Amino acid sequence: MKYTSQMVAKPYFIAAIALFVGQILFGVIMGMQYVVGDFLFPEIPFNVARMVHTNLLIVWLLFGFMGAAYYMVPDEAETELHSPLLAKVMFWIFLAAGVVTILGYLLVPYATLAEITMNDLLPTMGREFLEQPTIIKIGIVVVALAFLFNIGMTILKGRKTVINLVLMIGLVGLAVFFLFAFYNPDNIVLDKMFWWFVVHLWVEGVWELILGSLLAYVLIKTTGVDREVIEKWLYVIIAMALITGLIGTGHHFFWIGTPGYWQWWGSIFSALEPIPFFMMTIFAFNMVNKRRRQHPNKAAVLWALGCSVMAFLGAGVWGFMHTLSFVNYYTHGSQITAAHGHMAFYGAYVMIVLAIISYAMPMLNGRKAANSMKAQIVEMWSFWLMTISMVFITLFLTAAGILQVYLQRMNGDASLPFMVVQDKIEIFYWMREGAGIIFLIGLIVYIASFFVGRDQPEAEMPK
Amino acid sequence: MPHSDNKSTALAIRFEVLYLLNLLLLPGIAFLILAWFYLKYKNHSSSLVRSHLQQTFFTSLIGGALIVLVIALLFVFGGFSSSYIWMWIILYFTLAHSTLVVFGALGLAKAMSSQSWRYPIIGLPLPKDN
Repeated sequence: MKYTSQMVAKPYFIAAIALFVGQILFGVIMGMQYVVGDFLFPEIPFNVARMVHTNLLIVWLLFGFMGAAYYMVPDEAETELHSPLLAKVMFWIFLAAGVVTILGYLLVPYATLAEITMNDLLPTMGREFLEQPTIIKIGIVVVALAFLFNIGMTILKGRKTVINLVLMIGLVGLAVFFLFAFYNPDNIVLDKMFWWFVVHLWVEGVWELILGSLLAYVLIKTTGVDREVIEKWLYVIIAMALITGLIGTGHHFFWIGTPGYWQWWGSIFSALEPIPFFMMTIFAFNMVNKRRRQHPNKAAVLWALGCSVMAFLGAGVWGFMHTLSFVNYYTHGSQITAAHGHMAFYGAYVMIVLAIISYAMPMLNGRKAANSMKAQIVEMWSFWLMTISMVFITLFLTAAGILQVYLQRMNGDASLPFMVVQDKIEIFYWMREGAGIIFLIGLIVYIASFFVGRDQPEAEMPK
Repeated sequence: MPHSDNKSTALAIRFEVLYLLNLLLLPGIAFLILAWFYLKYKNHSSSLVRSHLQQTFFTSLIGGALIVLVIALLFVFGGFSSSYIWMWIILYFTLAHSTLVVFGALGLAKAMSSQSWRYPIIGLPLPKDN
């Protein structure tokens, strides 16, 4: 590690992993509630568990992105971070805000939470993924502004690289699009439309820039391939991500009351959205094939390669599966959407954050380049446990979704009611729960990898 | 890594692109072009060219057969009106097709790096000089 200020990334990574555990615990609870409806009721109702599961996902990924930026930007800019103190202060503010929000969801009825946080002054609550109290949203904006200031000043005073600039554009986009969370029009069509400006333009827009830059950084560091080669790939990938992703927002506008032309625009452009993910797969494997050196941190390379493949499958293939409007007419909001959401988030964003943590943590813990071989083997076990169980979660949800669509929506007058269909596909929910528990075990193994082999020498550079 | 020149690498990339086009954009047409290349270059002096040509051509054949035959069998024995048959068909097609596409992406990355590549599971053994 070249710059001491990179150390501020460590608490962000630790918090990210801790919140990740919380997210998966609530996922497992919710999976059980699908089949045992009153499981943990009334202590944790399904709607609360779902809110905690999705909110924790977003918050821990944001912690991961921030930690990654604090680690990567000084290294790329070849200068110390502008203000490590500001980064540390913002960490505690963001963590406190996150914990208070989750506790609020769990301990107080949502309507009361809205009341005591004075939501009526600037109503922003009550929308999926954006359930946070308004005052917390304002806190998020403050943290984001301080973060961008810190990162931006570091980039301004140091070396300007394509990777840093792409990351910066992605992070600025993330902050800007979050501002639409404050716009809450009475017209429900407009409300849903601008709601997607946050949700879609994050995950299928600017977050892809963050993903691309982090992937490029890890590949430069672990393969030693010329920066120019990697930067050219990055340019093309982010161009394709923006060209397809921005207008691809239209695939959310099919059925919310917007004009019919969105069915064409949304279908065509979102059908092209797998392209940048496909390019990322070729990019990652091409760079590893052309590597100039063998890096001792094999676990980080595995996460990076796995990320490219799983992102293509989850975001690309499973997204394409139900993105054309005439298909989406039947599949909208079914378990097929849940299947896509699980694999896409895991492949694209969970895995890239774990890749950068895997790359950076050994150095943050005082190692030269990598953990001991024993720790890496345990970490690679966790990779396979989590990745394979996520594949099965996706397959079981897809199977449930296909049956759901067929029985509930395509059977004409013989179509069955929602809850009858839910009973018929219960077996898949049980299997999904089993796969979810394996995923949780994988996560425990991942955390264990930080504690095993600490007294052993670090893995050597392969000959 | 076998010895290769730029022309061999370009040919290997071309075969992998045709393999992917056959799966994604031009099914049948891209395969016919690949078959024509197979007849033309199957005895090429470069082992890189021969390996990518053999792998893409035969994996297209075997992969295509696996997709078509299994789905045909499911329809023959399960009919068109069973929800479970449709579930298996869509799941099988999605899995098999996307696996073949990912293999193609890895093959293309290998070709771009001037390296030989054997498709996992259904790829034929590489020629002996690889």
